[in-house]
Amino acid sequence: MPRAKSIYRALLYCYPAAFRDEYGNQMFLMFAEQLGEARRTGGRLEQAALWARATWDALTIAPKEHWHVIFQDLRYAIRGMAARPGFTAVAVLSLALGIGANTAIFSLWHGVLHSPLPGVHKPEQLVMLSNPDNSGMWTGRWIGRADGPRDWLSYAEFEQLRDHAGSFSAMMASESSLNNWRVRFEGGDWEEARTRLVSGGYFQVLGVSPAIGRVFAAADDHAETPSAIISYSYWQRRFGGRPDVLGRTLTVRKAVLTIIGVAARGFIGETSGQQPDLWLPLRMQPVLILSGDWLHEAPPTKAMWLHVFGRLRPGVTATRAEAQANAIFQAGLEAFYAPFASEEQRRDFLDQHLKIHPAGRGASETRHAFSESLTALLGAVGVLLLIACANLANLLLARGAARKTEMALRLSLGASRGRLIRQLVTESLALAAMGSAAGLLLAGFLHGALVRMIAESDRAFDMSFALDPLVLAFAVAATLVAVLLFGVLPAWQVTKTGAGASLREQSRGATGSLGQMRWGRFLVSLQLALSLPLLVGAGLLVRTVYNLQRLDLGYPAQHLLLVRVDSREAGYDTARRASLPRQLLATLQRIPGVRAASFSELGIFSGGNSSSAIEVEGYAPKGTNDRESSLDEVAPGYFSTLGVRIALGREILDSDRAGAPKVCVINEAFAKRFFVGRNPIGMHLTTDYGDVRTTYQVVGVARNARTQGLRGDVEPRYFLPAEQSPFPANSPIFLIRTAAGSATVMTAVRTSIQRMDAALPITSATSIEERIAPLTAQDRTTAQLAAVFGLVALTLAAIGLYGVLSYGIARRTGEIAVRIALGAQPGRVISMILCETTWLVAAGLAVGAGLAYAASRLIHSSLYGVAPEDPLTLLVAVGLLLLVAVSAAYVPARKASRLDPMAGLRRE
Amino acid sequence: MHDPKPDSLLPLPTAVFHILIALADRDRHGYSIMQDVAARTGGKVQLSAGTLYSSIRRMLEQGLIEELAESPDPSSTDERRRYYRLTRFGKRAAVAEVERLTSLVQQARATGLVPGA
Repeated sequence: MPRAKSIYRALLYCYPAAFRDEYGNQMFLMFAEQLGEARRTGGRLEQAALWARATWDALTIAPKEHWHVIFQDLRYAIRGMAARPGFTAVAVLSLALGIGANTAIFSLWHGVLHSPLPGVHKPEQLVMLSNPDNSGMWTGRWIGRADGPRDWLSYAEFEQLRDHAGSFSAMMASESSLNNWRVRFEGGDWEEARTRLVSGGYFQVLGVSPAIGRVFAAADDHAETPSAIISYSYWQRRFGGRPDVLGRTLTVRKAVLTIIGVAARGFIGETSGQQPDLWLPLRMQPVLILSGDWLHEAPPTKAMWLHVFGRLRPGVTATRAEAQANAIFQAGLEAFYAPFASEEQRRDFLDQHLKIHPAGRGASETRHAFSESLTALLGAVGVLLLIACANLANLLLARGAARKTEMALRLSLGASRGRLIRQLVTESLALAAMGSAAGLLLAGFLHGALVRMIAESDRAFDMSFALDPLVLAFAVAATLVAVLLFGVLPAWQVTKTGAGASLREQSRGATGSLGQMRWGRFLVSLQLALSLPLLVGAGLLVRTVYNLQRLDLGYPAQHLLLVRVDSREAGYDTARRASLPRQLLATLQRIPGVRAASFSELGIFSGGNSSSAIEVEGYAPKGTNDRESSLDEVAPGYFSTLGVRIALGREILDSDRAGAPKVCVINEAFAKRFFVGRNPIGMHLTTDYGDVRTTYQVVGVARNARTQGLRGDVEPRYFLPAEQSPFPANSPIFLIRTAAGSATVMTAVRTSIQRMDAALPITSATSIEERIAPLTAQDRTTAQLAAVFGLVALTLAAIGLYGVLSYGIARRTGEIAVRIALGAQPGRVISMILCETTWLVAAGLAVGAGLAYAASRLIHSSLYGVAPEDPLTLLVAVGLLLLVAVSAAYVPARKASRLDPMAGLRRE
Repeated sequence: MHDPKPDSLLPLPTAVFHILIALADRDRHGYSIMQDVAARTGGKVQLSAGTLYSSIRRMLEQGLIEELAESPDPSSTDERRRYYRLTRFGKRAAVAEVERLTSLVQQARATGLVPGA
């Protein structure tokens, strides 16, 4: 019997404590009587039935009782929230902000930096032989640098690897950058679509099947099949998901293609953060990209533009596959360079290799560019959530003080402390759940805004907000952590003091214990400490943007238009292509409002660059890498049109034509590197292109000007007259300096080009401001977000400080009343309270300064023109916090100084 | 404290109705309620301790029954037992439930589903 009793007592622990306390003994008594009865009258069967029923109760009735308690607590909590709408609104709003911002940034951080490619079969098995962090194209004799692995591969290199690298079960190639092209479906108008060229094995390697129709097959690599695959979302968006899309034709540039399939739902391709509408066969490149044939190598030039992906054969390690791929790659390079390169050149050219990268997350330039800012932002919103929690904990402590009587009464009436904590935490959970629901809504909006901000600097970027299990788990975890931080501590504190003690305290008129005061002060210090790094970070980033926007480019950054026309697309032959720029220039210079016009191969902030190996007279290279310099090919008047001053000699003139003596202009960085301590004017430099060596005389030194990047030092660069360049002519970019009113001139420019040849497409036409804006977009976005977070943190800290002081003063009404009654002046009362606040603020700021220092080191590479430990920024941030802290403290202090001593004492 | 409209509680759960009937003639403690229900139903309805006290908890909250401050049986030596009594509201609820069931039975007879009395 004693054992049976203890087993039944153990079963009772399945019920909620309150229920057990109330009915446990009665149930126990009843069970004992039933058991005794069963033993007297029946046999083992009755006893067994009794135990079965008791167990069944524990499994079915006990959970219902638990639900009942939770439901009761929730009802109580909701009634409490409705009774204090102000508090509820502040709590829900600050939690929604905290949880929403965290979820949005986490979703983006995870999506950009960590999530595997959606819709791809076993993405963790994918590898890349090109650089996942970089996209673009490079034509030339070699990669232009000898400092490591190759970024992109040429089509011939891909073919060699695909056909001979046995370590891979399959391999495919894709164009590394995304195209934004004009396409026309049969019977429709021209429209924009995002396209990417891919090899035949593309969909097989990624393990993607078609939603309808078929996908490219490996055989498509061997023939020019004019077909296209469209993405699922484009199918839905553009064609309403109609199956008759199969077989429709579309015109892209010079090709007419047939849609043969729709890719599986959710699949976006091999590059994270980009969503192509159309995939087109790589073999169609010459008719789709009109800059030349990039499928066949024409020594000495290679066109490097492809990402190459593959899957390793089972049992093959990445190291072995890399070694094999490199052996094939090197053999290919040998065969390519052997016919024309000298022994020394071959050493340089062969100093290239392939590196295998895990490619489960796909390629992504965004990942590389935004990795640091996204991680820093995630840290910032995490801190923001902490601040919001500290603030709420403080509000709850203060509210708990007001509910002290209720708690004490319930404790003295026999409620257990555990029961009260459970009820208080349920209230916090209900608040957090509401905040979290609102936060998720907010996260959707925030995510969209963030994606648009990223797209300002990375135009191909697109990523939709998905509430996938991981993001949801993160939001739930953030909510639970919030409840733990802001709900549990106050619940513990509020229910801490014994029932009798608190009732006594209440009778003395005090509104809270000293312990609570200490916690409140600690939390305010913590808020201040956490706010400082946010403010300092925001300050540093704002100054970075300021510096970047005020950067001296070396020429006036207004009233400059940049226009590019594509003579290849218009079908011009080589001779006509060569004469077009000068003809156009003459036309442009005649437009009213145009002060000067010129052109250059690279243009301004076009995102491209060219460089070549050179020999400089009297300069001994310090190694094979030390013979490279950037270059540009420019028209007469380039420097005067741009507004770059000539420091020495002259600029490139109209007389520097094809037959005239060959000349060049260098910039100061070039002079500093190659002509240190010498006068460059009259010296010579020699370029080496294929079998052609050309020597140029330096006739001028131009001041350094930023034409390609805003950050870093200006690169050494030399400028050749376009007509004297040995390099094949491309489509140059026209620079047009206007007097004012750029918009009207732009219209006139378009009209004149159209009048010259209506078939000549203008591929880009922008102002210099429009060119520069995307370059600082990321900095502006990060700075704006950081500034918003900093301000929210500041506001929350102010609310916290105000709350704690008001509460403290309310507790000390009596003491202050006595002081005033004894003759203390209002000024003294105010200064007394402010002085008491000082240590609290000082402690917060001291810890905060340490945190700020650590945080600023984390973002140092995002900064420009300002040091991470910049004292001015720290000083301003500390000053701002102090100002806010003093203002927040002054209001309750002033109220205290105006206390009517008699009324105050009576209240005591 | 309790809902003045017994209709809002209908239909009453079987266990609740049985407890109301058991308390109709006199105040009882839990074990006595269980025994009475078993006796009246010829052992067909056996209330377990969990079902009984979960029902009692709810009935107390709804005001159908009340707990007595002391034992109604002065001869009882067992002071640990807690006794319950039917409230007026509990009685009204029981009457309402009986009316509901009677009406149902009448309807069943009127339609010929079951033979008339």
